[in-house]
Amino acid sequence: MSLARVFKEHPNRRYIEFGGKGGLGKTTFSAATAYWLAKQGYKVLVFSVDPQASLSDIFERDIFGKGAVEIMPGLFAQEIDADRHIRLYQEEIRQKIRDMYGFEEIPEEIENYIQAAAAEPAMEESAIFDAVVDIVVGEEYDYYIYDLVPLGHALYYLSMASVYDQWIDKITALREEMQEYARVATILERKKETEEDKILRELQYIKQRINTSSGILTDRERTAFFFVITPEEMIILDTVKAARLFARYQVPISGYIVNRVIPPELARQEIPEYLRHRIEMQKRYLRQIEETFGAGVLASVPEFERDITGLDMIGKVADALFGGEA
Amino acid sequence: MAEEKEEKGSFWDAFKGVLYGMAGHDMTRFALKTRGSMEHLFILITMGDLLGVPILPPYYSLRLLPYVVPQISTWKRRMLRERDLTDALA
Repeated sequence: MSLARVFKEHPNRRYIEFGGKGGLGKTTFSAATAYWLAKQGYKVLVFSVDPQASLSDIFERDIFGKGAVEIMPGLFAQEIDADRHIRLYQEEIRQKIRDMYGFEEIPEEIENYIQAAAAEPAMEESAIFDAVVDIVVGEEYDYYIYDLVPLGHALYYLSMASVYDQWIDKITALREEMQEYARVATILERKKETEEDKILRELQYIKQRINTSSGILTDRERTAFFFVITPEEMIILDTVKAARLFARYQVPISGYIVNRVIPPELARQEIPEYLRHRIEMQKRYLRQIEETFGAGVLASVPEFERDITGLDMIGKVADALFGGEA
Repeated sequence: MAEEKEEKGSFWDAFKGVLYGMAGHDMTRFALKTRGSMEHLFILITMGDLLGVPILPPYYSLRLLPYVVPQISTWKRRMLRERDLTDALA
């Protein structure tokens, strides 16, 4: 099965994710896939959740924190600026407090809390998570391509959704119980209506957002997750481990793409011993990949003669990735 | 509504008031007190950072902050005060 056929046979899979260890080519394949889909007339958004995103580099344009930027017809790219997102969010909270209580200034204690919360280590990830929810719930694009952060972060990101979900469930239950007591008091005092619990409504809103996002990530019908690997022993072993972990979070793994394969026909030419050894080594690990992942391997992309930046090179990678099929 | 009914109603209301005072008031107080304690528990698990108790995740607890602003100071006092014998009587 080729990668192009996987896309054709599953038109409902509109959320595409590339995962793998750092530096293996996730961003390259995200960009190339976006390019290929856009060339076929789809409206595609490729976005990065990595604080050290490299979409700007690959498209040779500064798009950091600028929202969705059109790179070519149908192809949009976006890099999330988490710091900016946090700053806007803090200000939104402050404004809400000012509006609700008619304060001129935020009480010091509250302001300190707002500042401290933003400095928490989990804040940045949470902010990115929230920004992604904003992106994926808007049904504006035909395809959404996640340029995921390296494996460990990706797992953290996915597990965060389930941690959030449990946390919200617990406090929502507590809040509902509190509402019961308030209702009892209301009935006993023979008042007409219980005051509406705005916090409960807010919690339900948060819960719905988290569920939408984690629901998409783990939906076999709508999401495709591809692992990027290279013919090296450590990468193969790590990927096997990671695939097991991802499966535990119900991430639908749709296939594997091998990157950085040195063209074997080089071996027939006059080449230095060094390169010959590397080709031999890769041959061995390619066999191992074949044995380990079998039919899951959807494409094999060669090592290019230069690094991948700019639309011309992205187009070449797209040809290698999708077999030049239109 | 007819005046007659209103008079009857006021007697009935007074009777219900007495009955409520005898039976219901304590229950109401208990319900409100329980709810109050739970309110403080709720703030603890969402805003625990204010007392130095780190609680995940800060991003969404900020969303709830505006609603608990008035309760923050009484909550802090309650959480940080020393306990004594009279607590059992309260």
